[in-house]
Amino acid sequence: MGRPKAWLPWRGHPMVAHVVGVLGQVTDDIVVVTSESLDLPPLPARIVRDELPGHGPLAGLAVGLAGARQGLSFVTSTDAPFLTPEFVTAVLAPGIAAAPVAEGHVQTLAAAYPSERGAAQARSLLEAGKRRPLDLLEALDYRPLPIDRLPDERSLDGFNTPSEYLAAVYEDGAASATVEFIGQARKLIGRAAIEVPVGSLRDVLGHAPASAGLVEDGRLAAPFLVSLGGRDFVRDLDVPIGPGEAVVVLDAAAGG
Amino acid sequence: MHGFHGAYLRFDLTSGRAQRIPIPTRVLRAYLGGVGLGTWLLHREAPVGVEPFEPAAPLIFSFSPLVGTPLTTSAKFAVVAKSPLTGFVSDALASSQFAIAGKRSGVDAIVLVGRCSEPSVLVGETLRPTALWGRSAAETEEALRDEGAVAAIGVAGENRVRFATLSHDGRHAGRGGLGAVMGAKRLKALVVGGSRRTTLADPAEVRRLGRDLARRSLGKATAKYRELGTAANVAAFERVGALPHRNFSGKAGASVDSLTPERLGADGQHERASCASCTIGCEHRYGPDGQRVEYESLFALGPLCGIEDPEIVLSAARVCDELGLDTISAGGTIAFAMECGERGLLEGAPRFGAGDDLLTLLPEIAHRKGLGDPLAEGSRRAAERIGGGSLGFAAQVKGLELPGYEPRALQTLALGLAVGTRGADHNRSGAYELDFSDRVDRLYGDARAARLAVGPENRAALLDSLILCKFLRGAIDELETEAAELLRAVTGLDFGTDEIAASARRVVAARKAFNIREGWKPSDDTLPDRFLEEPLPDGPVAGARLTHSRLKEMVHSYNEARGWSREGFLPPAAMKDLLLDA
Repeated sequence: MGRPKAWLPWRGHPMVAHVVGVLGQVTDDIVVVTSESLDLPPLPARIVRDELPGHGPLAGLAVGLAGARQGLSFVTSTDAPFLTPEFVTAVLAPGIAAAPVAEGHVQTLAAAYPSERGAAQARSLLEAGKRRPLDLLEALDYRPLPIDRLPDERSLDGFNTPSEYLAAVYEDGAASATVEFIGQARKLIGRAAIEVPVGSLRDVLGHAPASAGLVEDGRLAAPFLVSLGGRDFVRDLDVPIGPGEAVVVLDAAAGG
Repeated sequence: MHGFHGAYLRFDLTSGRAQRIPIPTRVLRAYLGGVGLGTWLLHREAPVGVEPFEPAAPLIFSFSPLVGTPLTTSAKFAVVAKSPLTGFVSDALASSQFAIAGKRSGVDAIVLVGRCSEPSVLVGETLRPTALWGRSAAETEEALRDEGAVAAIGVAGENRVRFATLSHDGRHAGRGGLGAVMGAKRLKALVVGGSRRTTLADPAEVRRLGRDLARRSLGKATAKYRELGTAANVAAFERVGALPHRNFSGKAGASVDSLTPERLGADGQHERASCASCTIGCEHRYGPDGQRVEYESLFALGPLCGIEDPEIVLSAARVCDELGLDTISAGGTIAFAMECGERGLLEGAPRFGAGDDLLTLLPEIAHRKGLGDPLAEGSRRAAERIGGGSLGFAAQVKGLELPGYEPRALQTLALGLAVGTRGADHNRSGAYELDFSDRVDRLYGDARAARLAVGPENRAALLDSLILCKFLRGAIDELETEAAELLRAVTGLDFGTDEIAASARRVVAARKAFNIREGWKPSDDTLPDRFLEEPLPDGPVAGARLTHSRLKEMVHSYNEARGWSREGFLPPAAMKDLLLDA
């Protein structure tokens, strides 16, 4: 993806804030598990850090379930742009471990887990060298939920590539981003900002006058650097730019 | 030998005795010049434990093999001494005709020791009393101009303000209080000149390399500096949450729109200039007085003090230049006092945003009057005196005030500031280059970033020893290879790339070794509590945080990447490599 999924814009918010907002319509007990290194936007949730980075999603489940206060928890990944409260409610409805099954695949990251027992079981599995969330569901004797019996089956849709994310953005409606120019880029282009359709960073910068030389030989030209919303610096032109996002083009040379 | 004179001048201001002391060729090869040679000379000339204001403390002007050649940006020299602000090594670089004239005096460095019996000027090897004491550096320079190239101090240096500068040709060796060291010697000015040029081993090749470097210096890599100057950092840093406001409180502060180069020059009062022998031309002057101003001055005298009025900021920069004050430390110390006042810790303190307070306080600092006297000691000593936990928000490392780079938003540089041998210094570290890239997570410094920080620091040490301007670095792909090529053509010595890389590492190690000798301890390599305990509250990177434990882990990784002990002590082999007994 070239950038943290949690910060990808979606309907006016970073993706993680959007998902937390959906969950907030079902419960006020929300736990977000993140890595030690990833800062998140302000969220109405408790933030816990993955204590075993590199041990896969089961380790994240262990720490997340341990932090939950409710008996049963709905677990989702960050990239769930079409998640709905109705879907969450339906998965939680059996009151036990349960997971949607779509096209023969158990959806472990859109499933219900008993919090306390699940955390303990996850730790045991990790100690036994297991890494898969499905191992946890099986140990918890989960109930399969056929997707065609759940509402809003698109709740399962995620994205793993820039093109999948952008496809979701396009499908969600026409959208634009802003490109801000600072320093030499502004001097060359003569404008402070332009509004452009969303797309890859390459697409977005393609709307700036070619004479500015922002892109050379298919790469971001060496004198320039791009910041996404004033946060992450990127040079990868395949990085997706989402709706409402500010792409800041500034000078790479920062000395002085 | 080509390129070098092979000796330094040691002048004792107490006795008036001048000595020309040979420098072994292997030392010149190992340290090159500039800060490298200056640091080796500091080891040699400074008695262990000497206080910076004692007569025995040396003040060193160090030239380089490239000075006087046709190579662009090479008209630079280094001033090296034990800093009165940090008690450790300090080196400051500057560019002007002084470098060329100094090298033509027939030595590779000038070392001043002793103390004049009365305020004096040193012209060549002749010491004489002066009535210029009390005058500005610019006035002093004007008065002595006919006798040679002049480096002089202002009133702040005379009064031993611990962040006083040393000036020449309108430019300043700014950081670390080297002007105060000269003031303690009662020396108002050093005047140099002569006709003893060094020869070039291969003049045609030097000219060819010079043309090539000059061509590249006019390319895109330096366009920012040429077209906009370092003031362009104001808007860029603000947009990415790296511009410090209000004593690094992290709180949203005054608008900085009025301090961008576009706005500063909007009234047409803008002109460009260059250092001696420079093709880049990064110097930009603004306002009716043609005030030269850089990003660091704008930051320190503007948003750091909560001030947005460009007239006030430009005036404050002019006043600092006239008095001989380092703008970063002056702004940093006053911003600290402003926060002390806001917290009720300092009676009569200036207020954030009060331009009049700023302009009143600068001369008081230089003259050590009233509140200016404790502030003339710098923020760390002022905090130790004020108490009340103020040391935790005195934005300094080892006593040197932070430059305009918010450490929580640029965490590789945070490491660089913490381990910096001259204190909180961006130019000797260069780690911000990594933060302003996609190579590290600037909001989460880690061991990997710390290891990478060794590279820019080595390159900075090399550029500062050659000496070439750091603004050239974007135009040079393989610095060590190109440096070896330049040095072969200038000196005729068979410099290789590996040897140059070793020199860069050695210069960094030599600075560290000096600090260890002078009492450095591992706990000195840290940042004030503010940066390690308070997340950034506002701005585009709100929430960015750094912790004591993570910074410590980074420091350990940096030390190990250097081949030092985890705590930062040099192993015997590294000490032997410094040639300190040569």
